[in-house]
Amino acid sequence: MDSVGMKTMSAVKTKSITLEKTNTRRKHKKISGPDLAFRICNGIFMLLFVIITLYPVLNTLAISLNDGTDALRGGIHLVPRVFTWKNYQTVLEKDNLIAGAIVTVARTVIGTLLALVTNAILAFIVSRKNFMFAKPLSLFWVITMYVNGGLIPTFLLFKSLGLTNSFAVYVVPGMLSAFNMLVIRTYMRGIPDSLEESAQLDGAGYTTIFLKIISPLCKPVYATVALFVAVGQWNSWFDAMLYNRMRSDLTTLQYELMKLLSSVTNQSASAESMKNSTGTVTPTSVRAAATIITMLPIICIYPFLQRYFVTGLTLGGVKE
Amino acid sequence: MNKKAITMADIKHQKVLLIWSGLIVIYGVIFHYLPLAGWLMAFQNYKPVTGLLHSQFIGLEKFQRLFSDVTFLRVIRNTLAMGVINLAATFIMAIVFAILLNEVTTQGGKKVVQTISYLPHFLSWIIVTGILHDALSGTGIINEVLVHFNLINQPINFFAHEKYFWPIVAFANVWKETGWNAIIYLAAITSIDPSLYEAAAIDGAGRWAKIKNVTLPGIKPTIMILLLMNVGNVLNAGFEIQYLLGNGLVQNVSQTIDIYVLKWGISQGDYSIGTAAGIFKSLVSIILIVIFNNIAKRHGEERLF
Amino acid sequence: MKKKMVSALLLTSMLAGMFSGCGKTQAGGGAVNEDGIKEFTAFFAVPGSEINDDNEIQQIIAEKTGCKVKETWLTGQTAEEAIGTLIAGGEYPDFVEAGNGSVQMYEAGALVALDDYIDKYPNIKEFFTEQEWDQLRQSDGHIYWIPQFSNIYGEERVCTHNDEAFWIQTRVLKWANYPKIETMDEYFDLIEAYNEANPTMEDGTENIPYTILCEDWRYFCLENAPEFLDGYPNDGSVIVDPEKKEIIDYNTTPTAKKYFQKLNEEYKKGIVDPESFTQTYDEYIAKLSSGRVLGMIDQWWDFAYTAEDAIKTAGLEDEGCKYVPLPITIEKGMKNQWHNSGGVLNVSSGLAITTSCKDVEGALQFVNDLLDQDVHNLRMWGVEGVDYNVDENGMFYRTEEQRARSADTAYKASHACGYSYFPQWDGTSRDGKNAMKPAGQEAEFYDGLADTVKECFDAYGAKTYVEMLGTSPAPGPWYPMYTYSSTMTTSTPGGTAWTMMGEIKHQYLPKVVMADDFEKGWDEYMKEYSKCKPEDFIAEMQTELERRITEAAKYE
Repeated sequence: MDSVGMKTMSAVKTKSITLEKTNTRRKHKKISGPDLAFRICNGIFMLLFVIITLYPVLNTLAISLNDGTDALRGGIHLVPRVFTWKNYQTVLEKDNLIAGAIVTVARTVIGTLLALVTNAILAFIVSRKNFMFAKPLSLFWVITMYVNGGLIPTFLLFKSLGLTNSFAVYVVPGMLSAFNMLVIRTYMRGIPDSLEESAQLDGAGYTTIFLKIISPLCKPVYATVALFVAVGQWNSWFDAMLYNRMRSDLTTLQYELMKLLSSVTNQSASAESMKNSTGTVTPTSVRAAATIITMLPIICIYPFLQRYFVTGLTLGGVKE
Repeated sequence: MNKKAITMADIKHQKVLLIWSGLIVIYGVIFHYLPLAGWLMAFQNYKPVTGLLHSQFIGLEKFQRLFSDVTFLRVIRNTLAMGVINLAATFIMAIVFAILLNEVTTQGGKKVVQTISYLPHFLSWIIVTGILHDALSGTGIINEVLVHFNLINQPINFFAHEKYFWPIVAFANVWKETGWNAIIYLAAITSIDPSLYEAAAIDGAGRWAKIKNVTLPGIKPTIMILLLMNVGNVLNAGFEIQYLLGNGLVQNVSQTIDIYVLKWGISQGDYSIGTAAGIFKSLVSIILIVIFNNIAKRHGEERLF
Repeated sequence: MKKKMVSALLLTSMLAGMFSGCGKTQAGGGAVNEDGIKEFTAFFAVPGSEINDDNEIQQIIAEKTGCKVKETWLTGQTAEEAIGTLIAGGEYPDFVEAGNGSVQMYEAGALVALDDYIDKYPNIKEFFTEQEWDQLRQSDGHIYWIPQFSNIYGEERVCTHNDEAFWIQTRVLKWANYPKIETMDEYFDLIEAYNEANPTMEDGTENIPYTILCEDWRYFCLENAPEFLDGYPNDGSVIVDPEKKEIIDYNTTPTAKKYFQKLNEEYKKGIVDPESFTQTYDEYIAKLSSGRVLGMIDQWWDFAYTAEDAIKTAGLEDEGCKYVPLPITIEKGMKNQWHNSGGVLNVSSGLAITTSCKDVEGALQFVNDLLDQDVHNLRMWGVEGVDYNVDENGMFYRTEEQRARSADTAYKASHACGYSYFPQWDGTSRDGKNAMKPAGQEAEFYDGLADTVKECFDAYGAKTYVEMLGTSPAPGPWYPMYTYSSTMTTSTPGGTAWTMMGEIKHQYLPKVVMADDFEKGWDEYMKEYSKCKPEDFIAEMQTELERRITEAAKYE
């Protein structure tokens, strides 16, 4: 087995695919000289990369654990100078934070599911080569990436659709996105047509093909898109501010954090607002704490998604 | 596309697809095309008081104003330059990183590196630029290293010179987004049939040959699609990072279209200028993607539409 | 299969529907809640601190007045954008402070004219004089908003100089045995001499003799000193000649040239921090906080609540790293007007009531109640016995602990309720003894001072920051002119010129200071500057000046 042509051959002949996980086998090969050199270089590169990317995160962590007034003096790198939990306390004591967190979890779950399903359907449609409107439909969506009616017209539209002061405004308007659709479409196009053809010969309709043949093969890309959407949902606050300002039961975690931040930030050129905002915490330290708090859940969830795209095994294990 | 006529049989066969397409088009029209009525604002002296329907119509005056302003022409140049540099830098780095990460053989190491690599994505620009400012200041690590190794005699004030600004912005973008952008390529790499590597190995291909002949072709459609999409975005080079890193001394090279719009439009209560600039950006984007899409088409590559 | 998918979709949309269906829009418009308390909503187009829903003092005030206000603040948008969206949507909170969007709100017909109501509410009526009320009238002759700040009741009580000055560390003055410093030349000579004798701090950190904050809108620390150096007060954007009643552009005066030439010389000598023009606000505060910076120009509020606190925390005040202001002018013996007495009536914005408010009288009654002395004390001082104590003479004072707690962010959110963008008094309380706000209470102020600062004050015979500079009354009824220039937009030639002048100054002033050849740099700057047509701006300011003088003349 394992000949290059095998995939096509077998796919045409039968609808069952039985590729094996093969990548682990390479490990046992003898390591050649240039190969070793490559590995070492690659290892060094990865190490440097990790150091450079980890630094800002650790720096943020250190600042979040440092006394705010002391941090004003600068010079904190990896270790807090005057240790305190105060910044985290301030963030976690924020009124409505729990309510916001619940809404955020809800919008992340519902929004991600909704976006995944709709983008997958759209990608499936436009990746059908013989579908009569595949190209116009693609173009129709591609254009939406580059045009934007602006803040006020969009606001008026949402208002007239009854989306303001509602949960729906978090999950419906951004549901379909050309970017996500194109990412899925590209992946779907990489799946041999023969699979669809043979399924059709067996009398399967498009719905079956989508659910039974294509979708199981698209797990890595679904995971990717789910991650993109989920992170977007998790981090968004502008819609909460714009459309649901007066609904404290629909506030989101990030909006509450933004409010806290902007209240301790002195961005306004007035003595009044400066006096108004003086306190024991500083914008830098609160921002650091808020950032770490926001990052934590994502760091925790990521490993579960990661298995879909770290290893090089796919197609295998799809049986029917 | 086959240019054959659409038959009733096709329609019947593709019924499900047609129904869903219809729903999706309705959705798209409502949420993406209806708000474009707002583009009218660019041809009006728009005031929230009078609204879209009753604001004074002024034709192309706002566009004329924009394109007769040397500052606007300069911000187009800046935006374009930074857009292209950022695109090239982040794009190449993400692909290189994804491929090299894929070559890491220890599964544990791979996971750890990847998990760390995307973390900076979650830092806000204000944090990233703060650290960057720190590192590049007179007493920052970069100057210390450069002076230590006698590469320079005196610390360089990096933010005082126009020539450093674009590279700094590009570096910041690479720093923050490489790991995140690589995720998509890592996902694409998983779609490559492992048997292709086996076959290549049998043919005696070394590591580079495998990367060149298997991995790269395998993720090429993804690369092409992302490249095409991003080409359309070169005029969206950003706002925050330039705003946070810029200062009076480098404002000739640091100001982007978005900063211009904020300064001369939004903060002046002039919504029309912002809309006019937005329409200009949209047109440029669409022209660019059409051109590049056709080039891709001619070369038989994956394309947007 | 299809069924499954459809049902999944249905489920999600049901969930979504559930979320949008339940929960009520926050009560507003003076709706009465279950406790019989009227609830209003307010939006302030400035960043501010939101207080908790169960805030303690808000509850006390609600019980006294029968009203509470849910306040929301600007987040992540400009005031113009936020107000623009409000107007487009056509629905408003009950109260609004629209900042730069005030005129837009008025033009949109979104605000309720207040003049017919004012007479019915004694505390509101009392808040301004007839003349001041008339100054607030818009083009249609009605009053739509009430400016909230800088309004003095009884005797003025002010200890800190909240505005701009040349600041210097007390260690520099002490080293020179507290000399009399009156001019810019003397100021820089002193800094040079000190730095030569003491190039480092006690711990060996190198001093930064003079730094300039120049980031974004904070570049006033660089650009507007010429107006003060010539002995004029802070009209902000221009000088007003009080005799000729004429607008003077301070950017082009001989003093401006001298000032920038001096900075240029000091820059070449290494006295001016070479990172001045590239540093961010955070970096600037970090430098000040480390105690390394000997002197700078700034406004007090811009560094006091950050750097001064950090200096204290780090124990650097004993080393003499705290700042005091100096009365500096371009020549000796000139009158300085760094500090002006009296309130400032900023007519450009204020608290307004919108047409969406269903109970205008109730809303105004609440504003009126907030100005009652006991409610005002609750807003500004807090709860007696908890946030402050009263001594046998009836004077309010705070313990160190109470003072610290009043600055605690979390405590403020759960306990304090200043209704900080509602009208409020400065000056002396109606009891004739206490200050309206803790910041004006002399004993409070003196208690909080560092010993090094007290010593410095004593040497100059001053008791407060203000006495270091001396006080002048407001120069005329036009003062301050910045309340007009800050509302200008590019819709007029003057406004366009104003924005362009800002751009050019941002770009060229640093170049002028850093120039190898000052004259050449200055000429180049002046050439670019004149291209902005500053005369258009000056002309519009002149018109406004004359309008204000004519208006004021009606009351003489």
